[in-house]
Amino acid sequence: MPPANLHLPPLLRATTFRLALSYLGIFTVSAVALLALVSWSTSVFIEWQVQETVEAEATGLSEQYRERGIRGLAEVIAGRAGQDLDRRAVYLLSGPGGVRIAGNLYGWPAESIDSAGWIRFSIERMGSEAFGTEVLGRTYVLPDDHQLLVGRSLHEAKRVKLAINRALGWGLALTILLGIIGGYFTSRHLLQRVEAMNRTARRIIGGDMKSRMHLTGARDEFDQLAAGFNEMMDEIERLVESIRTVTDNVAHDLRTPLNRLRSRIDVALLSDEDPASLRRTLEETLAEADEILATFNAILTISSAESGQRLHSFEPLDPARLAEDIAELYEPLAEEKGVALTCHTQGGATVDGDRHLLFQALANMVDNAVKYTPAGGTVAVSVTRQDGDVTITVADSGPGIAADQRARVLERFVRLDATRSTPGNGLGLSLVNAVARLHGATLDMDDNAPGLILSLHFTARA
Amino acid sequence: MRILIIEDDQEASAYLAKGLKEAGHTVDQAHNGNDGLFLATTERYDAMIVDRMLPGVDGLTIVQTIRGAGNTTPVLILSALGKVDDRVKGLKAGGDDYLVKPYAFAELLARIEALGRRTSASQPETRLKVEDLEMDLLARTVTRSGRDIDLQPREFRLLEYLLRHAGQVVTRTMLLENVWEYHFDPQTNLIDVHISRLRQKVDKDFDQPLIHTVRGAGYTLRAAR
Repeated sequence: MPPANLHLPPLLRATTFRLALSYLGIFTVSAVALLALVSWSTSVFIEWQVQETVEAEATGLSEQYRERGIRGLAEVIAGRAGQDLDRRAVYLLSGPGGVRIAGNLYGWPAESIDSAGWIRFSIERMGSEAFGTEVLGRTYVLPDDHQLLVGRSLHEAKRVKLAINRALGWGLALTILLGIIGGYFTSRHLLQRVEAMNRTARRIIGGDMKSRMHLTGARDEFDQLAAGFNEMMDEIERLVESIRTVTDNVAHDLRTPLNRLRSRIDVALLSDEDPASLRRTLEETLAEADEILATFNAILTISSAESGQRLHSFEPLDPARLAEDIAELYEPLAEEKGVALTCHTQGGATVDGDRHLLFQALANMVDNAVKYTPAGGTVAVSVTRQDGDVTITVADSGPGIAADQRARVLERFVRLDATRSTPGNGLGLSLVNAVARLHGATLDMDDNAPGLILSLHFTARA
Repeated sequence: MRILIIEDDQEASAYLAKGLKEAGHTVDQAHNGNDGLFLATTERYDAMIVDRMLPGVDGLTIVQTIRGAGNTTPVLILSALGKVDDRVKGLKAGGDDYLVKPYAFAELLARIEALGRRTSASQPETRLKVEDLEMDLLARTVTRSGRDIDLQPREFRLLEYLLRHAGQVVTRTMLLENVWEYHFDPQTNLIDVHISRLRQKVDKDFDQPLIHTVRGAGYTLRAAR
């Protein structure tokens, strides 16, 4: 397999690269700052230690001076200077006029003495040997114009500082190296996960709708992204599946009438019918075509209700008025069938909706009720109101729908076996359901014993 | 009537023109928006049939343009877009009626003839009369041969619409849209039942029926020939 990042777009590569670089930059700067602080405080600490030593030594010498006077002090200094094989200690005791009395320093240094008596100077030679060191010392003024200088070579301190700095430098180099390596592996890991997602996306684009992002189980951002992506794909797959089902159903349901239409024309063309019967055939054909168009229109109305694009045609409506209009419209039809159609409404309610769609839904409900109710039966349309909730009910005394079939009749093109012989396209209640959903209403089915109660329940606006 | 058809589907346009000519009208055709707009602004027509989607200038723009120029020729807009807000848009642009494709020719003919008539009878009327059937729009009474006919409010409006379009074919959809004022597809022959009720009251006891069924199209109210 080629390196994963070869497939990535240049932008992504640049982004990841820049990210890794800037992290490394920040990392280096903070590491350098930290090491500089360590180095600085180390040198401060070392000098402080030297000062302490010098002061301790001076305290010891001042005791000697108090006990044995200047001569005793000179002896002690001479002894100490002779003992100091490492040449770390520097002493100078001078008499009036700066004349050296004792010590391993042969003259006062030229450097200035600060107010606390501290002096910093370098010695090139000590005796006959090259010495070349920096010394930190303290001067004391003694009675009778005597002066004392006690100092310590900073040579050792310098070496310690150098060693620490070297260690810190190596540490820094190692840190940067580890940062680069770690950054490389981290970004390669990220890139591989991005690339894995990219591959999955390409597989899906390529038509493999079942393909899903791999979850590592780490529950990190990548897993969350992948999970979100997978959920989105599930939803898309569900939608595509439902569209496919509808398309299949449309194709199937329209193929039958279209085929019938075709054979009718076919037969008419073959036979030597007289103009009158040819005309009759044409009229039947036209009726058939109209029926197909009506089915199409119903499908389109359902789609437009489901897509929610009619929400902006919503207006406040009086459900009682709609119910009375629908009852008035269907009353003669019901009467012709010997069915009593009644309408009871509670006024004063308002429902936000699309007037024509809601009327279409009610028409489908009442149409069904009148169609399936035998002569002598009743269809009751009613509008009830409770705490702002509105329910429009159409109750008939027909055969009803068995409880286990109720969900099925809401699906498109589903016609129960018992109704196959009556005209209809199996879209009536699907449309009612789609319109109900568009209006945030629920469509309920209940047993009227005997018959069916269909109710549209609108919940009060918050 | 002299009718202008602006429709880019030449086959549909030719079919429309043929039908309208057979119904006794004179027809001009334009197959794109520019030609259509040119004809609409330079010639005088009794009615226009305008497709919404046209190459060049689209149908709604044509209607808006001629309305802006003070041209009040009735316009029937044809469209493959059948949603309610499309209909509203079409009517707002200045269209007088809106018909969704595919349509029945009888429906289109009835509507365009109703539109052509609308301009000629724009006077507010208080009485409508065909033969011995009279309607008083103020007193809201109907008599035939001097005998009172008792009608329900909806039946009154139904008869009023038929009377206002006396001699013309009115389709079931036109009745639903104008008398009930709802745009929807009834699954049953609802209107036929309402008409048959109206006939019971208006025609039953009289020798000459006034309400006639036009096969494949709708109804017409006229004196018997």
